[in-house]
Amino acid sequence: MASAPVLAEAADLPSTSPPPSQSGHLTSPWTSWYHRFASWRRALDLPNPGTVENLQKEAKLTSLNNYFFDGARADINKTLSANPLFQVTHSFALGSQSAPPSYNFGAVFGSNNVFLQGGIDHEGNVNGRFNQGWSANNVSKVQAQLSEQKGHSMIQLEHDYMGQDYSFNVKAMNPSPLDLTGIYIGSYLQSVTKNLALGVETVFQRPTPDVMESTTSYLAKYTDSDKNWIATAHVQPGGILQTTYWQKLSEKVEVAADLQMVTLPQRRDAIATLSAKWDLRMSTFRAQLDSKGKIAAVLESRFAPTFAFLVSGEIDHFQNAAKVGVGVMVESSPLTPEEMGLQAPPQL
Amino acid sequence: MPSEETKERIIKTIDLGRTLLHYGWIPFIIYVGYTHSNPQPSLVKLITPLA
Repeated sequence: MASAPVLAEAADLPSTSPPPSQSGHLTSPWTSWYHRFASWRRALDLPNPGTVENLQKEAKLTSLNNYFFDGARADINKTLSANPLFQVTHSFALGSQSAPPSYNFGAVFGSNNVFLQGGIDHEGNVNGRFNQGWSANNVSKVQAQLSEQKGHSMIQLEHDYMGQDYSFNVKAMNPSPLDLTGIYIGSYLQSVTKNLALGVETVFQRPTPDVMESTTSYLAKYTDSDKNWIATAHVQPGGILQTTYWQKLSEKVEVAADLQMVTLPQRRDAIATLSAKWDLRMSTFRAQLDSKGKIAAVLESRFAPTFAFLVSGEIDHFQNAAKVGVGVMVESSPLTPEEMGLQAPPQL
Repeated sequence: MPSEETKERIIKTIDLGRTLLHYGWIPFIIYVGYTHSNPQPSLVKLITPLA
């Protein structure tokens, strides 16, 4: 195997000239072309574009889709150890219009390269996540949902690889080792210039052994040089388009816009969402307005390092409906706030 | 193609694995967290929400 030492050697060389082939007769024209291509690619010095899963991450963190709740909620969070991280959570939810009352127990363990997460609700459904980092660029992930009911369990195996200027990811959802049915997803994202990254995602569906369908969608991400704004697009053939735009207006204010369009022959639909997030000294405020006439806001106010109070509200102007939610988050821990890495309350 | 017998065995193994994971995953995380934590917490604090 002569390729490994040649590669290591090439990494140290100035990247414009192809590396001299010292391994003599073992170097074929193909490997020298490969090295020329690799050194040319290194010379471009393109950044890693981030993973496909995180394509819309900034916009999603600004929007309140993942933060909105209604009814009453209480989370009791216990950090039992900060390094490695070990946390248990008891969450209670009650009086929601969309979900029945529930209790959920969660446990999280995280060290430098292993992450374990599990949750169980009062009906006995378990969800779990396991991430194993093999190196800085290689992460394997397993996600599972286990239920007593038949057909509600699901497992997803995933591997992420982040190269110097590209990332790829393969996923298998509910793969069956017997007849290879399941859903398989492969995605690849490549930086084309310092700001622009382009990618493809292919989904293979094999619901039964003799049916095989695949669809390919295309991705694009433009990141501003200062990372102050990011625009993304995800196009699926047949007429589904999702675009997002995220901008950091100042240290404390971020805004995001999201446009989803469906132009299938049987359905034409579009939703536009505008959201904003304010990070204040002891609180976070998110507000959102969408083209379906919904206006919503969530305020998370941290009165003390160990106690946070949440209020949320949504008014649907077209349906004439409203939702309200209140919640508390209590952090109880045998550790001191400094040990947990929380900021001390500001001195007035 | 595997024979019917191996197929059945594979299905049984998967079912057993799923059951084990269902009942064992949370205790497993708690065990790993409990043994690796620094400082080691007391078991009472770990389970009850109020302590």
